[in-house]
Amino acid sequence: MSAPSGKTATAGSGQKTASPDDGTLCRAMPTLPSPLAQAIRHVHPVLLLSLFYLRFGALVRDPVPTLLHSLLAVAALQIAYAVICLPAAGSSAAVQPAKKLRPGEKRKPVADAHAPNITSTVVVALGLSMFATFGLQIFFVLFGAPLLTHIPQTTLCSLHLSLLGLFPLFYTHGISTSDWLEILGARAPFDEAFGGLVGGCVGAWAGAVPIPLDWDREWQKWPITILCGVYGGYVVGKFIGGTLAYGKKFGA
Amino acid sequence: MPSQRQQRPKDGPSEYQTIAAQYARAKRLKEIEDANKKLLGAEADEKRSGAAETQRAAFEARRKRGYERRFGWTLGFWVWMTCIHVVGIVLFTGGFLLTRLVLDEKSECSVPPIAPLAAWDGQGSMEGGCWHPKTFDKAVVVLIDALRYDFTVPVEDLAQAETAVRSPENAVLLPFIADPPTSTLQRLKGLTTGTLPTLNDLGSSFGGTAIEEDNLLMQLNSLGKRIVHLGDDTWTSLFPGYFEANISKPYDSFNVWDLHTVDNGVLEHIFPLMQKENQTQWDVLIGHFLGVDHAGHRYGPNHAAMTAKLQQMNTFVQDLVKTIDDDTVLIVMGDHGMDSKGDHGGESDDEVEAALWMYSKRPVFGRTKPEYVTPPATAKERPVNQIDLVPTLALLLGLPIPFNNLGRPIEEAFAGIKDIAWDNLAAVSRLASAGIRRYQASYFAARGIEQIAKPGSPAELWESATESATKNTSVKARELVYRAYTAYQEETLRICKDLWARFDVPKMALGIAVMALGVLVLLVYVSRDEDDDFAVLDDAELDFAEKSLELQDADGQTELPSYQTLSKSLVKAAAIGSTIGAGLGAGYVSTVAEEQDWTIAAAITALTSSLAVTISLLGLGKSLTNLLPNTIWGWLGVIFTVSQSIGFASNSYTIWEDSISLFFLSTFGFVSMIAALRLPARTDRILGIYHSVVFILLGRLASFSKLCREEQMPYCTSTYYASANSSTSAPWQLALPFVVFAGIPSIIKGYLLSSRSYEGLAPFWIDWVFRGALGLAATYWTLDAAGNGQWLADYLSETALKTIQVAIAQGVLALAFVAGTTAFVWAPPCIKVLTRAGSGGRTAQVTILGYGNANGARYLLLVVNMAAACMLLSKPMGSGALALMVWQVLSLVEVLDLNSLSAESIGPVVLALLGEFYYFKTGHQAVLSSIQWDSAFIPLFALRYPWSPLVVMLNTFAGQVLACVAVPLLALWKTSPRRKGGLETVARCLGVFVAYYAVESLATMAWAGHLRRHLMLFRVFNPRFMMGAAVLLVVDLVGMLVALAGVRANALAVSEVFGWAD
Repeated sequence: MSAPSGKTATAGSGQKTASPDDGTLCRAMPTLPSPLAQAIRHVHPVLLLSLFYLRFGALVRDPVPTLLHSLLAVAALQIAYAVICLPAAGSSAAVQPAKKLRPGEKRKPVADAHAPNITSTVVVALGLSMFATFGLQIFFVLFGAPLLTHIPQTTLCSLHLSLLGLFPLFYTHGISTSDWLEILGARAPFDEAFGGLVGGCVGAWAGAVPIPLDWDREWQKWPITILCGVYGGYVVGKFIGGTLAYGKKFGA
Repeated sequence: MPSQRQQRPKDGPSEYQTIAAQYARAKRLKEIEDANKKLLGAEADEKRSGAAETQRAAFEARRKRGYERRFGWTLGFWVWMTCIHVVGIVLFTGGFLLTRLVLDEKSECSVPPIAPLAAWDGQGSMEGGCWHPKTFDKAVVVLIDALRYDFTVPVEDLAQAETAVRSPENAVLLPFIADPPTSTLQRLKGLTTGTLPTLNDLGSSFGGTAIEEDNLLMQLNSLGKRIVHLGDDTWTSLFPGYFEANISKPYDSFNVWDLHTVDNGVLEHIFPLMQKENQTQWDVLIGHFLGVDHAGHRYGPNHAAMTAKLQQMNTFVQDLVKTIDDDTVLIVMGDHGMDSKGDHGGESDDEVEAALWMYSKRPVFGRTKPEYVTPPATAKERPVNQIDLVPTLALLLGLPIPFNNLGRPIEEAFAGIKDIAWDNLAAVSRLASAGIRRYQASYFAARGIEQIAKPGSPAELWESATESATKNTSVKARELVYRAYTAYQEETLRICKDLWARFDVPKMALGIAVMALGVLVLLVYVSRDEDDDFAVLDDAELDFAEKSLELQDADGQTELPSYQTLSKSLVKAAAIGSTIGAGLGAGYVSTVAEEQDWTIAAAITALTSSLAVTISLLGLGKSLTNLLPNTIWGWLGVIFTVSQSIGFASNSYTIWEDSISLFFLSTFGFVSMIAALRLPARTDRILGIYHSVVFILLGRLASFSKLCREEQMPYCTSTYYASANSSTSAPWQLALPFVVFAGIPSIIKGYLLSSRSYEGLAPFWIDWVFRGALGLAATYWTLDAAGNGQWLADYLSETALKTIQVAIAQGVLALAFVAGTTAFVWAPPCIKVLTRAGSGGRTAQVTILGYGNANGARYLLLVVNMAAACMLLSKPMGSGALALMVWQVLSLVEVLDLNSLSAESIGPVVLALLGEFYYFKTGHQAVLSSIQWDSAFIPLFALRYPWSPLVVMLNTFAGQVLACVAVPLLALWKTSPRRKGGLETVARCLGVFVAYYAVESLATMAWAGHLRRHLMLFRVFNPRFMMGAAVLLVVDLVGMLVALAGVRANALAVSEVFGWAD
C-alpha cells in the first residue's frame, strides 16, 4: 500500500499542510524593471506574432523548411527577450525580490559575486530546451500525432513550443529540482514565463480542434493548427501571467 | 487488529464541508456520551456481556435486511431510469425511423393482378407485353441528379421544354414530385420499386444496401433484358450484379467537390453505346449525371458554374435525341430538386420538385385536354409523382408492374395521339389499381392489420370503380372508369404517405424532452451534498461509538442518514408520478386524442414521473447548483462530455470520434500526471506518474487497432483485419491472443499484489481459470484462421474443425459465465489472516493481508470473467485491445485512488470514454456495416435465439459492457470492509457513467432530429443516433444486471467475514 500516512496528513488538514519543498517555494519572476526591459516585454509578443503572420503563407505551403528557417529568428527573439527582460537563474533578482529603491537612492551597480554568466545561462537553457523537445514530441504522439510519418513536422513543432514555453523557464529557473517540480505540477505562481508555458500547452491542445473538420483547407494539415494554437496561446498566456494572474496559483 | 488499515476520506472535502462534518461528528459523539451516562448505573456489566453477543447477531441480521432493502430500492430506481430511457428512445424512433415492411413477393409476366379488359397479340409474354400491349422495345434513362423543375422552364432555356412545345406528340415535360427524404439513394429506391421511402426498410437482411423488393430492374433482369449503367455508383450498390459487366461504368459518387469526373465519364461512354452497331448490346441504358447536384452543393443554384453545367446537360440531351431510334423511349429526369443553398434531403417544395421529360421519335404522347400541350409553367401545375414512372415505364416496355408499386400510369403516355384513348387509360389504370390492391392486401396481412371499409376508404373506392368498369363499356364512358380508378389510387397513396413518409416532429420532440428530463434527473441524482460527504468518511472512532449507541437503542428507532433512504423516496416519487401520469395519459389518449397512440400515454407517464422524482430530489437537499463543477476534475468531466456532444452536430467530429476519444483520454492522463506531481509523498508521486504514463501509453498503443469507415478515407489505414478488403485476421495478429494469454493474468496479479490482495480465490481464478480461458480463446482463433486458410484441410474435415471450435468457444463462455458467476458468488474475500503470538505471549496479534482492498479485489473477479468472454468473442486484434482496456482500467483506478478522486465524477466519465474508445478499437464504427455478424457463429453452429443476438451484442459493445461492469471498481477499489455507503457510492458512479451515455444519446438524438435534412443524415447522424440509443440501453441493463447485482454479491460475501458496515 502506498504510504497512507502521508495522505492522511494532507487530507485531514486540507490547505494548511505545507508542501514537502517548504522553504524553497518557487517564486513568481518579475520582469526586470529597466525601461528597456519593460519596452521589450511588450514588443516581444508583437514581433513573435508578426513573424508568425508573415511566414504563415510559406508555412502552409512548405511547413518543414519554413519551420526550420524560422527557428533561428524565434530563438533570437526568445534569447533577446530572456536576456533583456528576465532575471537569469541564480542572479540576485531571481533569488530575492527586487527591492524598491528609496527616492533619490541610486541602484548600486550589481557587483554580485555569484552573478551568473548570462552567456552560459543562455547556452545551457537552449540546450535544455532542445533536450526537452523530445519529451514534448512524445507527448504529441501520445495525444494522437502520427508516429511514423510527419516526424520532421512533429519535431519542429515541439521545438517551437519548447523555445517559446520552456526556454524562458530554463533561463530563469535553471535546473532547480524543487522549482521544476512546482512548475510541472502546475503549482508554480504565474509569471510571464510560466503563463507562457501554460498558454502554449493549452493552445496546442485547442489547436487540434479544427483538424478533423472536412473543410479541405490546406492549413488544416499537421501541424499548422497546433502551431497557431501554440503561438496564440503563448502570447495570451504570457500576457495574462505577467499581469492579471501574476503571482497567483492554480487551485488557490 | 487489522494492519494495512487505511484511514482517509475518499475525497478532499472543502473547508466548509470539513467543518460541517466535524460539527456533526462532535454532536453525535455527545449524544452517545449522554446515552451512556444514563445507562451506566442501570445495567450491570455481567448481564450486558452475555446479552451483547445475541444482540450483536440480531443487529447484524438487521443491517443485512437493511442492505437488502436499500439494494431493492436502488435497483428499483435503475429500473425506472431504464424505463424512462426506453420511452424516450421509442418515442423519438417512432417519429424518426418510420418503418415499412419489405415484402418478398414478385410480379410475374404471365400473372396479371386482374384479367385485362381486352386481348392482344403476344399477351402475357415479353414479345407482346406482359400485362398490357407494349409501346417500346428499349429505353434510355438519363438521370440528372438534382434537376429541379424550374431549371427546365422557361421554355426558351432548355431543349426538353422546347421540344415539348414544338412537337407535343414526341415529347412531354412534367413536374416530377419526389417523396421525401430527398436523398439520391432513397429516390432511386422509389424510382425503381414504386414504393414510398422510409428511413428504415425492415427487410430480411438488415446490413445490406441492395434492394430486395420487386423493382423495374429486377423485372428486366428476370425477363432476360440487358441493362447498362453509367455514372453514379449508388446504382451498383443498390443493384449488384444487374448490369452488363464490361460496358457499365460506375463512378464514385461521394466527392461533392468534383463537378466533372462522373459527367465526363457518362458522356464519354454513352454515345458509343448509342451507335447502331452497339445498340444490340443493351435493352435499357441508364446514365446518371451528378454534376448539377455537386454544383448545387458546392456553389448553390444561382452560380455561374451551375449555369454552365445546365448548358452542358442541355447540349448533351440535344445530341442524344439525334441518336434515338423509333423503338426507344428516352426519359430524362431529376431525382430531386435542391433548396436555395443547393442542398437537399428534406421535404421543402424546392427539394421535391424535380423534372421529368419523356421523348419518343415516333409520335406517342397525348393530352386529355388541349391546353395541356403547353408544359406547366411551375411545378404546382399537373405534377406527377416520381413513383408514377414505375408503372408507366413498365407498361410502355411491356413489363409487369413491380409488386410493391403505389404509383399510377402517367396520363400523357397512354392517352393516344388522335382522340383521347379513354379505353387504354382505363385499362392501364385498372391494372395499376389491381396491383396496388394486391400489394396492400399482402402488406396488411404481413403486418396483421385489418383494412377498414368505411365510406371514402380505398376499399369502398375500389368497389365503385369495379362497378363502373362493368357498367361503362364504350370508349367515351371509359373516362368514368379511368377517373374512378384514379380516385382509388390517389386515396391509397395518401394513406400510405401518411403511414410512412414523414418525420413525426412532435413525437420526436416529445422523445427528446423525455430523454432530456431523464438526463436532468440523473444529473441531480449524482450531484453531491454534505450528507454524502459525511457518509463516506471512514472514521473508526465514530464508527465504534455509533455501534454502541445502536446496542443501547435496541428499538432501532435511530434515524437513517438520508443517503440510505434516497433511492426509496425516489422510487416512491416515481411510482406516484407514473400513476398520475398513466392516468392522465390513458385518459388523454382514449378520450381527447384523435389517434389511439399509446406511446403518447407512455410519454406523459414518463414526464410526470420524472418531474415527481426531480421535485423529490430537490426536496431532499440535492440541487442543481451542486452540479457545477468546482474542481479541475469536475471541469474536465464536463468538457469531455459536453464538447463531444456538441461535436455530434458536425459530421466530421462524428466520423473521427475514435481519434477524439484518444485525445480526451490522453488529456486525462496528462492532467493526472500533473496532479500526481503535486502529491506530497515521494512514493505516491512516483506511483501516480507511473500509472498515468501507463494509462496514456496503453491508450496510444490500443489506437493502432483501427477499422476505418468509408468517410475517413484516405486519411486512415485499417489494421483490424489482414487487409482493407478482408474480414479475416493477418497471421501475425494470431499471436496477440497468445500474448494476452501469457501477459494479462500476470498484470492483473501485479495490481492485486500491490494491495496484498492476491489471496483467497484470486490466485487460482486468475492464474489458472482466467488464463486457461484466454488460452482456449487463443486456440479458438488459431483454429479459425486454420479453417479460413485451409491449413489443416488434409487432417481434419471442415465440420470436425467447426465442431472443435464451437466446443472450445462454449467451454470458454461456460467458464466465464456459469463457473465464473458461481465462483464469484461463493468466493471468500481476497484476504489472508496471519495470527502471530504477541509480544507478551498472551495476546495473539492478527494481521489481515488485503484488508484495505477487500471490496475491490474481490469485485475484480467479476470484471475478469466478463473480460474473458468479451475477448473470446472479439477477433484477435480485438482481444488484444480489450486486454489493454483491462490494464488501462486498473491503472485508472490506481490513479483515482492516489489522487483521492473516487468521489469525483471524472472517474466514471473517463471509464465511459474508455468504453467508447474500445468500441472503436474492437473493429467497429458508428455505421451499421461494421457490425460483425459472423461473431454470432463463434459459439454456435446456426442462428439460435436469444443466444445469437446476445453474442453479437457482446461482440459489438464489448468496450462499453466491460467498462460498465468495471464501474463499481471505481468506488470499491482500495476500500476496506468498514467502508460505509458502498452501495450508494457505486450507484452514484453508475449514475455518472450512465449519465455520460445518456447525454451522448440525447445529443445524437437531438442533432439527428435537427439535421434531418442534412446530406449526411443516413450515412453519419442516423447510424450514430442508433448506436447511442443501443449503447444506452445496453449500459442500463448491464449496470443493473451485472454491476449492481455483482456489488450485492460482493457485499454479502465480504460482510459475512467482517460484518455489515451499512
